[in-house]
Amino acid sequence: MDNKLMAVAKREYMERVRSRWFILGTLAVPALAVAALAIPMYMASRGASSSLRHITVIDATGTGMGERVAKALMADSSLGSAKTDSIATRVINVDAAQLPVQEHAATAEVELPKHIVGYLVLTDSTLAGKSARYAGRNASSIADMEKLESVVRQASMIVRLERQGVRSDLVNDLASSHLKVNSERLSERGRAGSGEAGLIAGIAVGLLLFMSIIIHGNNVLRGVLEEKSTRVAEVVLSSVKPETLLAGKVLGVGAVGLTQQIAWLGIGAYLMGFVAPIMMKNAGGGAGAAASSGTMSGMFASLSPEVLMVALVYFVIGFVFYATLYAAAGSMVNSEQEAQQAAVPVMILLMSTWLMVNPVMINPNSTLAVVLSWLPWSSPIIMPMRMGLTAVSPMAIAGSIVVAILGCIVAIWLSARIYRVGMLMYGKKPSLAEVAKWIRYA
Amino acid sequence: MSDFAIDIRNVVKRYEEHVAVRDLSLQVPRGSVYGLLGPNGAGKTTTIRMILDIIAPDAGTISLFGQPHTTVGVLDRVGYLPEERGLYKKMQVRRVLLFLAELKGMKPAVAGPRIDEWLERFGLVTPEKNWGEARVDELSRGMQQKVQFIATLLHDPELVILDEPFSGLDPINAQALKDAVLELKRLGKTVIFSTHVMDNAERMCDSVCIIARGEKVLDGAISDVRRQSGTRNVALALAGGAHNGVGGVLRDPTLVRKMDDNNNYFELELAPAADPQVLLRRLIEAGANVERFELVQPSLHQIFLQRVGAAGVEEGLTGHG
Repeated sequence: MDNKLMAVAKREYMERVRSRWFILGTLAVPALAVAALAIPMYMASRGASSSLRHITVIDATGTGMGERVAKALMADSSLGSAKTDSIATRVINVDAAQLPVQEHAATAEVELPKHIVGYLVLTDSTLAGKSARYAGRNASSIADMEKLESVVRQASMIVRLERQGVRSDLVNDLASSHLKVNSERLSERGRAGSGEAGLIAGIAVGLLLFMSIIIHGNNVLRGVLEEKSTRVAEVVLSSVKPETLLAGKVLGVGAVGLTQQIAWLGIGAYLMGFVAPIMMKNAGGGAGAAASSGTMSGMFASLSPEVLMVALVYFVIGFVFYATLYAAAGSMVNSEQEAQQAAVPVMILLMSTWLMVNPVMINPNSTLAVVLSWLPWSSPIIMPMRMGLTAVSPMAIAGSIVVAILGCIVAIWLSARIYRVGMLMYGKKPSLAEVAKWIRYA
Repeated sequence: MSDFAIDIRNVVKRYEEHVAVRDLSLQVPRGSVYGLLGPNGAGKTTTIRMILDIIAPDAGTISLFGQPHTTVGVLDRVGYLPEERGLYKKMQVRRVLLFLAELKGMKPAVAGPRIDEWLERFGLVTPEKNWGEARVDELSRGMQQKVQFIATLLHDPELVILDEPFSGLDPINAQALKDAVLELKRLGKTVIFSTHVMDNAERMCDSVCIIARGEKVLDGAISDVRRQSGTRNVALALAGGAHNGVGGVLRDPTLVRKMDDNNNYFELELAPAADPQVLLRRLIEAGANVERFELVQPSLHQIFLQRVGAAGVEEGLTGHG
């Protein structure tokens, strides 16, 4: 019996691991993920928005605010080094009456294929802290507009402070201060790394499980369908119990998933070793690099052995839960298209959980979050995430695991019965009522 | 130790709309070739699946080699070739065979050499190409059928169950299969196969069971079945045909139950209590010029038609056996 279970699991594992797709996926995914992380950072640091300097500031406030904005833009290191920049920000001081004429000229200038990308208009309204206007080719760049907004906001504040008679050295000091809040999570067990790191670890575990279920759950479904449609199922079922075949399949495919994830983590960590120093160098000066390296080490510190163990337990339970349901869906149908339909209820369970990730992240102690970390189909994703975000009592974790295991047993029982009947049932796709009958029959 | 390889007692299998098998009992003697006969939809495949514990009966018991068929390890002694045959398409032939052997409890070290042996025996290993190394979907249909047959026999089963083994076989492969079945019998194995082609059954089987609409119509050794089938037929040839007095004798219901009149040649089914000698005497007394008077046993085909009839084939049943 056990040897047969192992034979089924071994076949599933070996046939999948040998396939070209597995090898490709195992190598390509971490490479793509690291690239997806590194390239935007690299692009951002490479002054993709350095063109923000190449604008005309039309200052109608008569306070020298335009000069301040230009100076701040030139001094901003996140826009790249000002020394290598051939074009400086231009400031034109005008009367309010001349404004329409100047704006017209600036518009014409931007429309020419030149280096000037846009113009910024500062008026009395800006000085009052209300609004400024910008028009340019990069107006839809969120990063550029945010940067511009913060520069203008700070300039308007400083001009107003100066007008109130605040000492100029104090004003300059205020202007150059960059405050950063370093968050740190506290729990009963003391310091547990930075809050940000815990969040990343929690999301990473949840995301990994979510992806595994989708990829390998569908593999289980397709494997069941293959056995059914090639009719090999009947020979196999004359030698092993359907429950053994189902269990072996889930075990074998699950082991493939685990193998792939370990490979992903390993390859990902290896590649990060190359990419991280480049990313930090480009992350905008020493302070940024220190902060991001702190986050990195904090992230690994927050993945304590206990958390990893619990995450692994949830991983196994969650995978078994969903994979058996996928197997049942696969055994009910005769074609790939029908299989996608049959898998919809399983997808709904999974997607509804995934949609709750954001609310739980925002408030990990809400009633919603607590309920979701007890329901067997959502706890494997939600609970490890909550553990990363907040302190969860060991009793609650143990209780939720017990509930999840019970849920698993119900899912296996139901799936095994559907599977037993479904595997030898050909013809039209069964209705829900018919499936309910199968469950009673088997 | 039981004398029966298969012993089925009062087995019932119901489905929502119909009863697939009702109160079926049959015994397959060890070392025999046994035919399970019946029209499509009679319950043959359902019966076979129940023997193999693929589906569970609603009532009744099934024993293999004197033990309940659910006993651990008993089904490892059985080889099964289903009607709907298939293999893992993307898998290497040797690996498929190894996997199926492992499911029957064989150790890979034992199964490996035996796979090579069988592949060679079936001509799947040639100097040009070793098909064992190929993927299943590279094989022709005929080759795949050979691989399936190897999978059935690889673990040297004592009982071999073949569901409609002749369907889809060309005459050459059909002959090869007949030879293989007789070879198994010579080796002391028990073979049970289902078919709706009576000719095959008549030539190969020691015993048969005819089922229709899920019920047993008759069973037993072929010679007994013919005897028991109750019908004694008389082949009668009269020179000059049946004139007046002779016609009266042939129409006497105490002697003849049914008559197939071909003018000079008659096939008569005797009435239940009738004595063929009395009939012959009466015919001669009536002045008949008898050219031929022979007691004949009906063929399996005739018995089948007679006992099952056209009504035995239920309409609208597209399921397997």
